Amino acid sequence: MRPIIHFLTLSIVAAATMVAQEVITVKGSDTMVLLAQRWAEVYMSKHQDVTIQVTGGGSGTGISALINGTTDICNSSRPMKTSEKQKLKQRFNSLGVEIKAAKDGLSVYVNEANPVKELTIEQVRKIYLGEITNWKQVGGDEARIILYSRENNSGTYVYFKDNILEGKDYAPNTQSLPGTAAVVNAVSKDKNGIGYGGAAYGRGIRELALKADESSMAYPPTAENVRSGAYPMTRFLYMYVRTRPTGSAKAYIDWILSDEGQSVVQSIGYFPLR
Amino acid sequence: MTVRYAVAAILLGAGLLSSAAAQEDSTVAALREQIAQLKGEAEGLQEMFAEVKNAVDALKKLKLSGYIQAQFQSAEAAGIGSYAGGNFPSATASRLSVRRGRIKAQYTNDLTFSTAVLQIDITQSGVGIKDAYLGIRDPWTKFVGLTAGVFDRPFGFEISYSSGSRENPERSRMFQVLFPGERDLGMKLEVLPAEVLFEGEWLSYLNLRAGFFNGTGPTANENDNRKDFIGRLGFEFPFAEQNLAIDGGVSLYRGSARATTKKIYTADATTRVFVVDSTATNLGKNYDRNYVGVDLQIYYELPILGGISVRAEAIQGSQPSTGTDNRVYSTATADLYRREVRGFYVNIIQNIGVSHQVIARYDEFDPNTKVSGVNVGATPTARLTDQDLKYTTLGVGYIYHWDDNVKFVLYYDMVTNETANPAATGALASFKGDVKDNVLTLRTQFRF
Repeated sequence: MRPIIHFLTLSIVAAATMVAQEVITVKGSDTMVLLAQRWAEVYMSKHQDVTIQVTGGGSGTGISALINGTTDICNSSRPMKTSEKQKLKQRFNSLGVEIKAAKDGLSVYVNEANPVKELTIEQVRKIYLGEITNWKQVGGDEARIILYSRENNSGTYVYFKDNILEGKDYAPNTQSLPGTAAVVNAVSKDKNGIGYGGAAYGRGIRELALKADESSMAYPPTAENVRSGAYPMTRFLYMYVRTRPTGSAKAYIDWILSDEGQSVVQSIGYFPLR
Repeated sequence: MTVRYAVAAILLGAGLLSSAAAQEDSTVAALREQIAQLKGEAEGLQEMFAEVKNAVDALKKLKLSGYIQAQFQSAEAAGIGSYAGGNFPSATASRLSVRRGRIKAQYTNDLTFSTAVLQIDITQSGVGIKDAYLGIRDPWTKFVGLTAGVFDRPFGFEISYSSGSRENPERSRMFQVLFPGERDLGMKLEVLPAEVLFEGEWLSYLNLRAGFFNGTGPTANENDNRKDFIGRLGFEFPFAEQNLAIDGGVSLYRGSARATTKKIYTADATTRVFVVDSTATNLGKNYDRNYVGVDLQIYYELPILGGISVRAEAIQGSQPSTGTDNRVYSTATADLYRREVRGFYVNIIQNIGVSHQVIARYDEFDPNTKVSGVNVGATPTARLTDQDLKYTTLGVGYIYHWDDNVKFVLYYDMVTNETANPAATGALASFKGDVKDNVLTLRTQFRF
C-alpha cells in the first residue's frame, strides 16, 4: 500500500511542479541565437521555475512566429517593417512592443590571407552591388572577389541591403548561406571571399576596419568604436513581444535590460546598450 | 669486440628506424588516401547540395495557402433570406455546410518583381474562381505595382480583409449588396510604401490603390462597354509609444450600368414612390453607379486584456438595380430602378490573451433612402418591395484560436428589418413586423 501512496504523492508533486513551470518561447534572429541562449542559460540557473526555449531561423521567421502566435518573444536584428506590424495588428489588434536589447557592430570579413585591411562603406557597397569585382580595385591582389551573404529571411541580410546597399539588390553572383557561421566558414576557406555578419561570429577570419567615407579614419569593430558610434556599421538588436509584457516574460526582459543581462551581452561579443 | 657490438647496435637501430619510417610512410599514404577520398565525397555532397538547393529555391517561388471553413447554422425560421452565408432552403432552418474552401497558389519571382495568383473556392456547391491575377512591381522603388485580372475591388476596408482573417463570419450587409463577390475584372495601380519602407519614413504611412474595372463582378463579362473607376486613398498612423494605431481611408466608385429596357424607375423623395420614365431613348443609356466611402480603424492595447480594435465604415451612393433585387443591375430583361443607398457598420474586436477574441458588430443598410418602411406596401402602384426596406444587424461572437491553424467561431446575428405599411398585402405582409431571421453560426476554420 505504501509504495502506491508514495507513487501517488510523487505524481501529484511532479504534476504540481509541471503546472508551476513557466515556459517562455524565444524565436528569431540567427545573429542573436547564441546571445539568446546564453541569456536563457544564465536566467534559468537563477530562476528554476522558468523554462526558456530558444530557437533561431532568422529575424523574418521569428516575426512570422510572433504574428502566428507561436512564440512569446521574437529576436530580430532589424526593426519590424510597417507591413509586418500591419499583420500583427490584424491578428492581435496591437502594434507589438519593440525592445532594444543590445548593440552590434556588423563586421565585414575577409580571409586571413587577404592583404586588404580596410574598406570604405562606399567600396563595400560597390563590391556587393557587383560594381567592384576584383580585389586589385581596392588595394588587394589580382583576384576575383567572391561574395558571400545571408539568406533573405535574415535580419542581417535586410539590414545590410537597406543600410549599406541603399535598398538595391545584391549582385546576382552573391552566394547566400544559411547562418552567419556558414558565411564565416566559407570566407575562412576562400582566400578571395568576403562576407558580413555579427561580431560574435567573427573569430577565425579577419574583420575589416571600415571608413564612413574616403576622408574619415578607418575603425575596427571594437567595443569602444561600436559604443561610441565611430565604427560606421553599428545597429541595434531587438526583441519584440505582441503586447506589453507581463508576468514571467516581463521579469525576463527586465533582467535582460539590467546590468547583469547586459554583462552577458559583452561576454558573447556584442555590445551593451549603456 | 666493443666496436663490433657498437656497429651491430647502429645497424640494428638504423634497421629499426628505417622500418619505423617505412611504416610511418605507409600510414601517411593511407591517411592521404582517406583524406582524398573524403574530399571527393565532400565535393560530391557539395554538388548534390547545390543541385538540391537550386530545386528548393525554385520551389520556394511557389507558395500554396488556403483555408477551409466548415459550419453549422441554425435560423429562427425555415427558408429565411439571409446575409449570414446565403438564404436557407425552404423548409430548412438548420444546415451544415462548407462555407469556404479556398486554395491559393502564388508564384513570385523576386528577381523580376512579378507575381501570379490563382485562387479557387471548393464547397458543396461546386468549384468557383476567386482570384486570377498577375502583379508586377517597379524595380526601383519597389512599392509601385500594377495588378491585372480578377481581384478584390480597392474600396474601403472590409472588402480586402480576407475571409480567413476576418473575425465576423460574413461581411456586413452593405458590402454584400453593393459589392457581391468582392472581386471584379480590371487593372489597378498600387502605391504601397509600407511594404518596403520602415516606420518613420512619412511615405510609409500612406497608400493608394486605384484602377478601372468592368463593374460586372468576378465571373460575368463586360456588358456596358464602360469601365468603372474604383480607388482608395488610405493612411496608417502608428503611435508606438502609446501602442495605438489609427488607420483609415477615403474610397470612390464612379461607374454605370446600361439600361436594357426603356423603363427607368427613380425613387422620388417627395411622392415616396418609384416614378417611371419610359422615353424610348432610355434604352441603352448608362445610369450612375456611384459610391463614396470612408473607413476608420483604431487599434489600442488595453492593459492586462490585450489589443482592442474599433473599425467603422460608411458608404453612400447611387445604385442602379431592379425592382426585386437591390444589388447592382446586370440583367438583359428587367427594368432599371435607381435607388439612393446608405449604410455603415461599427465593429469592435477585443483580444483576450493569445487565444481568445470577443466581437460585436452593428451594421445598418438602407437600400432606398428616399422612402421609409411605412411607404412600402402602402400602394401597389408605388412599386416598392422588401428590397426597399432598411435593415439593421447586431452580431455578437466569440473566437477561440486552437493553434496557429485552427480557430472556432461562435456568432449570433440579430437581424431587424424596417416594418412595412400595416396595409401591406401579399409577399409584403410578412414584413409588417420584424421577420424572424436571426442566425446562429458555429464555425471551425483550418488555415494553412
